[in-house]
Amino acid sequence: MSMRDEHIPTVMPTTNRSANIGATLNDDTSRLEAIAKVTGAARFSRDVYLPNSLFVSFIRCPYGAAKLESIDTEAATAVQGVLDVQMSRKRGQYHGQPAGYLVADSPSAMWRGLRALNAQWKPQPVKTGITDEISGPPPVPPSVQSLLDEAENTLDTVYTTQVQTHASAETHGSVVDHHGDTAILYTSTQGTFAARDGMEEAFGIPLSAIEVRCEHVGGGFGSKLRAGKESLIAARVSAKYKRPVYLFVSRAEDHLDTGNRPSSRTYVNIGFNSDGTILGGRMQSYGGVGVGGNGGVHVPSGRYSLGELARDHTPVRFNGGAERPFRAPGAPQGAFVEELMLDEIAAITGVNPLDLRLARTTHDDFREMFTLGAEHIGWSSRAATGSQKGTIRRGFGIGSGSWERYPARAEAEVVINRDGSVEARTGTQDIGTGNRTVMAVVTADRLGIPLRNVSVRLGNSTLPIGPASGGSMTVHNVAPAMMQAADDAKNQLLALLADRLDAASQDLDIVSGEIRRGDETLMTWSQACVKAVGQPIVGRGNRTQGVARYGGAGHSRGVQFVELAVDVETGIVRVKRIVAIQVCGRVMCRKTAENQVMGAVTQGISYALFEDRILDHNLGSMVNPNLDMYKIIGTADIPHIEPIFYTKGQTGPRSLGEPPTIPTAGAIACAVYNAIGVPVRDLPITPDKILAALEGDAA
Amino acid sequence: MNRFAVAQVESPDQAVELMESKRFVSPVYKAGGLDLLDHLKEGLIEPGLLVDIRTLAGCADPIHQAEDGTLRISANATLADIARSPLMHEHAPVIAQAAHSAASPQIRNVATIAGNLLQRPRCWYYRQQQFDCLKKGGHQCFAPDGENKYHAVFGGGPCHMIHPSSLAPALSVCNAHIHVTGSGRESIPITELFHAPDQGLRSEHNLSPVEIITHITFDPVPHSAFCAVHEKQAFDWPLAMAAAALVIESGTIRSARICAGAVAPIPWPLPKVEDALRDLRIDDDGELDKACSLAADRGEPLSQNAYKLKLLPVAIRRAVQRAIARNAEAPQ
Repeated sequence: MSMRDEHIPTVMPTTNRSANIGATLNDDTSRLEAIAKVTGAARFSRDVYLPNSLFVSFIRCPYGAAKLESIDTEAATAVQGVLDVQMSRKRGQYHGQPAGYLVADSPSAMWRGLRALNAQWKPQPVKTGITDEISGPPPVPPSVQSLLDEAENTLDTVYTTQVQTHASAETHGSVVDHHGDTAILYTSTQGTFAARDGMEEAFGIPLSAIEVRCEHVGGGFGSKLRAGKESLIAARVSAKYKRPVYLFVSRAEDHLDTGNRPSSRTYVNIGFNSDGTILGGRMQSYGGVGVGGNGGVHVPSGRYSLGELARDHTPVRFNGGAERPFRAPGAPQGAFVEELMLDEIAAITGVNPLDLRLARTTHDDFREMFTLGAEHIGWSSRAATGSQKGTIRRGFGIGSGSWERYPARAEAEVVINRDGSVEARTGTQDIGTGNRTVMAVVTADRLGIPLRNVSVRLGNSTLPIGPASGGSMTVHNVAPAMMQAADDAKNQLLALLADRLDAASQDLDIVSGEIRRGDETLMTWSQACVKAVGQPIVGRGNRTQGVARYGGAGHSRGVQFVELAVDVETGIVRVKRIVAIQVCGRVMCRKTAENQVMGAVTQGISYALFEDRILDHNLGSMVNPNLDMYKIIGTADIPHIEPIFYTKGQTGPRSLGEPPTIPTAGAIACAVYNAIGVPVRDLPITPDKILAALEGDAA
Repeated sequence: MNRFAVAQVESPDQAVELMESKRFVSPVYKAGGLDLLDHLKEGLIEPGLLVDIRTLAGCADPIHQAEDGTLRISANATLADIARSPLMHEHAPVIAQAAHSAASPQIRNVATIAGNLLQRPRCWYYRQQQFDCLKKGGHQCFAPDGENKYHAVFGGGPCHMIHPSSLAPALSVCNAHIHVTGSGRESIPITELFHAPDQGLRSEHNLSPVEIITHITFDPVPHSAFCAVHEKQAFDWPLAMAAAALVIESGTIRSARICAGAVAPIPWPLPKVEDALRDLRIDDDGELDKACSLAADRGEPLSQNAYKLKLLPVAIRRAVQRAIARNAEAPQ
């Protein structure tokens, strides 16, 4: 495979995509809103500016802990255009914690008002990380100790991960247009229906009178699953002034106060024999949750048999913004621990890491995907860990991930109009990952008509109900409902047509936009609609019946193989290739699915190598609340990513949003270890850590 | 951000006049406007007037070579102009490479060379309002006891910023002259453009508030090169930068100019490395390596940035080797 020697391209390769062609329901449809997005025509909620709007900004604590000593609300309200200042607290427990808010009639009046407040905060002592509270794990229990004593080898170490912020393209916020008895909430959300839950009081009207709109959503990654304080305050202010309110937070505020993937610290004591048999041991993890949450570390994952493990987890609080779900919560942290631990065991025992995994895996899907991935990445050319001497050292690593298929209520409608146009309707949102495109594709497929006839309406709470895009629940719940709705509409149409043609509807079918009876083409789709449709036909479907009809069950499983290069003089890691093999049921739409995998892998690399929320350990302020020093992967750092869907005859769709981001960081950590011969057990794997690890090794 | 007026001016004199008039509070110049916008958005400055000197007529050709061989870059030349200039690639590759290494394509299309030289520090304490640091008139540098992974390992104190410019070390090894207008003087050597924090905290350069850089001149340095080490390959501030300009005769380095960036509050000259490189054979890798390793001497790392002292000699050796390789390629 000569591709491995080529320079990293700045465009995504198309090589190897043929692996998936024909294995999917739809091979060639591009994202429907692609042009609208790249030209700026797509209207995100953040782009909604309504006439006569008010603008609201939070007043926030600038330190990890602080006391508000003085604030000049009178001076602020004296600023022309400032309507109100509301204060709710005089102490802050994390940087970015709201202490109140200011209402103004323009963004510039808002800014001048905030300046006029001249808030004086007195910093208080802070704790900024797990180690400020935890110096080490409790002693290993005697039962575990006796197990460790039996083992020929033991590993006693600690794996740590950083805080990663969601950093979605569109920041958090809402625009509320209150009409008195009714209101529209334009919001950036992962859940059209969840976005208004619990908001009755703030709006002062019943839930049913609130319409949520989110035509386009710029990502969420788990941080936009329910109504946030942004919606709450916007609704309150809009209800009070009977004017539209715009409240979208800045990039800095988004980093500080809209959730994060919590940090973790996992102490591992594990016993194993020279043949790679793992006897078990103890895993004690701590989750760095900031001011709240659990911060779980999903280890052991169950993907490997690791013997008898004593397991405990403790969340640790400190002065940082609270965690929120983040794309496969706890799973990438856990996979990092587990995979790097396996590679350390492999290095100590001299067992090849691939063989170790093949021996320890608990499911045939993984065994098969490990074998396939090894072939694709060229595993046989991997040098033994620590055996290389040059400046640029190559490393190979393996990671794995698994995810459940969470059921959720979903309904859908498919409308056929007399003019031949078809509208697929779901209230669910498209958070940027392709829901709109998938719904169009499955509708066209079930109806047997070209995609151009189908438009999709979504992201509106007046449309049929569906799940939030969290837990990887969208496609595998909504698509079966949409398929059933399309079939229902089709059956209605064929019944009407049969009536007109004096035929039996079960003899009719629609193929490639034509009405057929057996081999005979009777008319085109458009002609049929004119002939048979009076008032629009509305087909309906729901998830329960859809899944029963179209099948689909089971977990999603994935493995990833990484090839990278480490420059041992500078500590710079360049990821060259990632082969991402995924079991995710039947793929509905190849391009959006491959894109989902590429995005997940890209975010995983960013987590492994770059992203880090850094709190000043004296004052508790985040020093990098921007996209300049909070380092998110850029195009030049993205390698060849080769998604391969391992479908094995599965019928319905399964989860795909989260699973492919689970294996990446672990696989990268293993590959770095393979390259340099020393494990870096602390994410992100930055040059300073690599140089320190190499120095420790030399010493 | 605050409300401000914008003035389009037609001559440097007009610009200076506006800056000196008392009609507006704290007027500032705007060229590319990139660093300015960052300052305005964070509320670090609140100027009443932006004097737009972006369109002040330079010459039609922002990068050119005089008959006597002198290279001239007008102050408004963008980093993109410079990065793709055949003249620079041929006669001063260190300049083209430094321009190319900075920021992102979008920023290089807008950022000017003068703005690159005069940009303020990227220190995360300086860049956030709530840290009342020395540069903002406060009494404390937060870096030594704080988060200092990206701070200075040389020449720090009382402020530990690093100078972020990539063109500054490159122009330093070219012995460039900075041509100015507005105060009576006409030019200053690049080596005198910047001052250390102990010589003044509220600014990093020695221009007066009304002075405008008009252009930059230097002699060709065909055997020169630049090396920047970036944590991230796309749009990232370097961890260390090195500029090298060599005079090579008969396979021997006759003289060397070496300057580091991103390691000190000013472009950091390395005379000991320059001395050690002199008279070395260009193929004597061992001796070259030894000479470049002197770059780490007398480093004063803070608690989290000692790694920079490992990176810097590597960056310098790579810049020197790139300059040597350039010599081998260059037509005689």
